[in-house]
Amino acid sequence: MRTRDIRFAAALALFGAVLGLLFATYSTSDYAAHLDRQVHAIHCSFIPGADPSSDDANPCKAALFSPYSAIFRQTYWGGIPISLGALGCFSFFVGLALYLAIAPARASRRALELFALTALAPLGASIVMFTISLTQLHAFCKLCVGIYTSSILIAIGGVLALRASMKEKKDGGARPRGKLPVLAGGVVAFGVASLLPAMVYAWSLPDYRPYLTSCGALAHTTESHGALLKIPTTQPKRQVILFEDPFCPICKTFHERLVAENILEKLDITLSLFPLDHDCNWMVENSLHPGACTLSKAVICGKDRARQVLEWAYDNQEELRPLGKQGGSALKDRISKQFGGDMGACIDDKATTTKLNQELLFAADNHIPVSTPQLYLKEGDKLARVCDEDTDLGLKYAMGQLAPEVVSP
Amino acid sequence: MSEKHEGLGTEPTLPASSDQFSARAQLEDGGAKRSDGGGDGQSRKPGPMVVGAAAFFAILFGLTFWVHASVHAAGERAAHPEQAAEQKVAVADNSEVGYCTPAFKGVLQRVLNSCGLVGSEARRGCQPADVKTFASISDDDFNALFTPLKDRGAVILFDEGKDDLDDGAKKLLEEKWQDRRGARYFFVVARASKTGTPDANRALSHRRANSVMLDLQNTYHDPDLDKQVGLLWLGNEFAQLSKDYCEWPSSREQATSSKKEKCSAETINRSAFVSWVDCRL
Repeated sequence: MRTRDIRFAAALALFGAVLGLLFATYSTSDYAAHLDRQVHAIHCSFIPGADPSSDDANPCKAALFSPYSAIFRQTYWGGIPISLGALGCFSFFVGLALYLAIAPARASRRALELFALTALAPLGASIVMFTISLTQLHAFCKLCVGIYTSSILIAIGGVLALRASMKEKKDGGARPRGKLPVLAGGVVAFGVASLLPAMVYAWSLPDYRPYLTSCGALAHTTESHGALLKIPTTQPKRQVILFEDPFCPICKTFHERLVAENILEKLDITLSLFPLDHDCNWMVENSLHPGACTLSKAVICGKDRARQVLEWAYDNQEELRPLGKQGGSALKDRISKQFGGDMGACIDDKATTTKLNQELLFAADNHIPVSTPQLYLKEGDKLARVCDEDTDLGLKYAMGQLAPEVVSP
Repeated sequence: MSEKHEGLGTEPTLPASSDQFSARAQLEDGGAKRSDGGGDGQSRKPGPMVVGAAAFFAILFGLTFWVHASVHAAGERAAHPEQAAEQKVAVADNSEVGYCTPAFKGVLQRVLNSCGLVGSEARRGCQPADVKTFASISDDDFNALFTPLKDRGAVILFDEGKDDLDDGAKKLLEEKWQDRRGARYFFVVARASKTGTPDANRALSHRRANSVMLDLQNTYHDPDLDKQVGLLWLGNEFAQLSKDYCEWPSSREQATSSKKEKCSAETINRSAFVSWVDCRL
């Protein structure tokens, strides 16, 4: 009977491992695809093989571009995705579970202990990542959930197998004990398997340094009317100009990434607002972010509190977006409610419109791409653009190469 | 019967008392002959350990190779972006709207070149002789170029023989100046009516253009003003406005009633037409 229990446990783990391999493969595939510095759709389904999604609200995209999806980001462009560990780990469990499923009676106790012990590793990793998803990302990527589920199945399998083995021993079963070094060898094999894909990944990465300075520079580094805004930070070490739209979700993510990577406070930030809203921006045919002009004026009106207004706008994009689409004074009224009636009057002031226009003309004079966010980093006497690709996956690597002082502790 | 079972533990010789267990194990293990350690040479079926290890290594090495190939392929695409789907992104620039026809832009370019807005020429503005030369078009064609600016610009009206801006003129000028949007250049085309000599009218229209410029300088102290404002003064010699232009937005509509006078072909030319021009060059 115990043998049957072990076979069931192994089959459960085998199923979990195969499932985990599928999800980890899709996750790794999506990550590796972005190494070409292009934009790609991202898989996010419980159904293996389902079409990838380009939706900005895709939680798998949020997870992939988060600082938690990879390690050693400063050393390697994009870092080493943690899904690579899952690939090796699940491969190990496919082999081990297959062995136990085929030969549940002959497997030594050490083999079952190895199974139970190593099964805790993916479970532990999944608990950590689940906690991060819950507390930091506030979203659950389906591929990640698939991996968590697989890890749970394997862990259950490990526990069931160990329990069956212990009961069998108690019942006086004659299962061979096996040798301790073999158990240790199994753990080592598990570790090596978990590391091997990551090591090969790191070894295969191309040299990204030539790309880092290939996205041009600002022709005009100052705005003659002083219209650009200073964003106060605690330890400004490197001058940058940021082109941002307070209604742009990618700007919000970028801002959060700079905070999470502990980079933001080390930048000496000049903000040039670039709302992607046709109401004030002639460079945008259709308003991508209706209401962004009003929100940008609010940031300008914030003056010394510009950062506070900008961060409030980012934090409340979901709530403010419908107000922006609604038009009229709905958005302005909400801003006034938050920051006082003077803010509403300032938004309507012609001087504020002029200032925003000067910021837009600054962008036009520099012929920057019509997109946000954009980061220009002071290098000598020029402000060089940090390529879009280096503001997400490659942010820490790019900063480490171009401005090491902002990534050093 | 003693068989070595390498891998995750060496199975000891099964005790005699475990014959029943052994037989059952054989049965539950699918009846596979043990050949993990080489077998008896008669069976070619792989043992469970070999199957598990083979699956492990095959998957691990297969996936590792796939990882290498994926990263390498992405690196190739990064190095040769033309092989990847390139996303075209618009570039920020000054505004350009429908009236920026090639003819309009041709004249605009010549104005900019000849009137000191581009290049290193110290002088500012163009007088009638210049305009006649560089525009190389008839009066009517010259005026027609500005027709699409009816809603964008406005006519600043002056009293006869005067060049000072009244309150309505200043208000309208401020309104038009602030409605820049993405325009690169602000045009001031000053004229004089036929009353008086051509020389006097040329000087008068010059002063009217300068009045507009001076008001902008005094109001905005904009360091870029010289690179933005194009001045033309036409006196009464070139491109006089017809009475039709009375329908255009003008400063006297906004002025006090005492300044109102009936618009005519005469009065409409005591003016400076001002407008931002939404054309790229």
